[in-house]
Amino acid sequence: MSSSRESAGSGLLVAAFVALVMLAPPARAQEAREIVITYKGKQFQPPQVSAPANTPLRLRVKNLDAQPMEFESTSLRVEKVVTGNGEGTINVRPLAPGSYEFFDDFNNSSRGKLNVQ
Amino acid sequence: MSGRALWAGAGIAALYLMGGSAHAEDASNWRELETKYLFGFTTGSGIGLEGEKEFTLESIGRFGKRDGSYNATETKIEFEFTPSQFVQIEFGALASTHDIHNVTDLDDRRQVRLEGAFAEFRYLVLERSQNNPLSVTISFEPTGRTVDETSGEAVRNLEFETKINADIELIRNRLYAGFNTVYEPEVTTISDGTTAREAKLSQSAALALRVLPNFVVGAEAWYLRHYDAANLTNFTGDTVLIGPSLFYALNNKMFVSAAWNAQVWGREVGNPGPFNLAEFQRHRVKLKFAVEF
Repeated sequence: MSSSRESAGSGLLVAAFVALVMLAPPARAQEAREIVITYKGKQFQPPQVSAPANTPLRLRVKNLDAQPMEFESTSLRVEKVVTGNGEGTINVRPLAPGSYEFFDDFNNSSRGKLNVQ
Repeated sequence: MSGRALWAGAGIAALYLMGGSAHAEDASNWRELETKYLFGFTTGSGIGLEGEKEFTLESIGRFGKRDGSYNATETKIEFEFTPSQFVQIEFGALASTHDIHNVTDLDDRRQVRLEGAFAEFRYLVLERSQNNPLSVTISFEPTGRTVDETSGEAVRNLEFETKINADIELIRNRLYAGFNTVYEPEVTTISDGTTAREAKLSQSAALALRVLPNFVVGAEAWYLRHYDAANLTNFTGDTVLIGPSLFYALNNKMFVSAAWNAQVWGREVGNPGPFNLAEFQRHRVKLKFAVEF
């Protein structure tokens, strides 16, 4: 009896978790704003880009260097390796206003900022 | 001065000195840090980065019972990945060692075993932003074991750990506070067919100071309660553990962390001793190594 109650409780928790996960990306329903970031000479160009708040974003990262780079951001919670002379696309959820740092994980001195307002 | 007070004084002095030297550096230019592994036994709210994969080895050692000699470890061999900006999934195998001699209520044992398997699902409920320093993640971790964690006996054990992991960035890129609330019901069947249900309910608070861009020191306190029922009736005892923690990033893709907790207070229902060494241990140590790829 108590075992079935516990199983039911666990099942409810899992169901709640699945529901939360399914509710997570309402962002996909809105149209994403595309932002282009270029990487050349191991520097982001421009080093600061702006974006509107509460709007899904599509970051298009163009690596003009011959070596690969890894676009990464702890606060945006994304990472992507972009091959030399290649291009990568990263979808980002709608963001609250603020400043979000990004960098090339293969090169500690390459950093940029996404200013969301 | 007692040994415990001396250790506490030395710890506070060390944190103060490291904090003082840390002020000499400008942390505003440091990269932001993932908080998940900064707090020792306390888990931060971080869920990694979308697309990130990580292999980790995590060993927890438990040492000391009321009498005799008690040494046990459990090691997680773990793969974790982050499929979206809100969800992290982990799974892996468990291995254990037990070295037990002359401990009341436990059989003598010296063994190494493949113990079981686990999976963890983490969901970021509240994310940190410029105007909100608090971040909260909930997690569910079903675990199956064929070896009892405490005694090393062959059993069938199912555990369903549910956690709330919260952390606050108190000073940007520098000082963090972490909090865990954990409910851990489990059911165990031993070889004669007897089934036992139990649960732990625990709360932690931790502080982590980033002394260098790749080095964090901290301290944490845990309060744990044990019940001989999954629905939190039949309370059998509680305890308080405290101790330091360390986090060191070897490079952008690898880190190690360590933590030690010592029991400083405890009580067992029906046993007036100063500690609770029936359900908990005198000391626990955690070592973790992770590599991202």
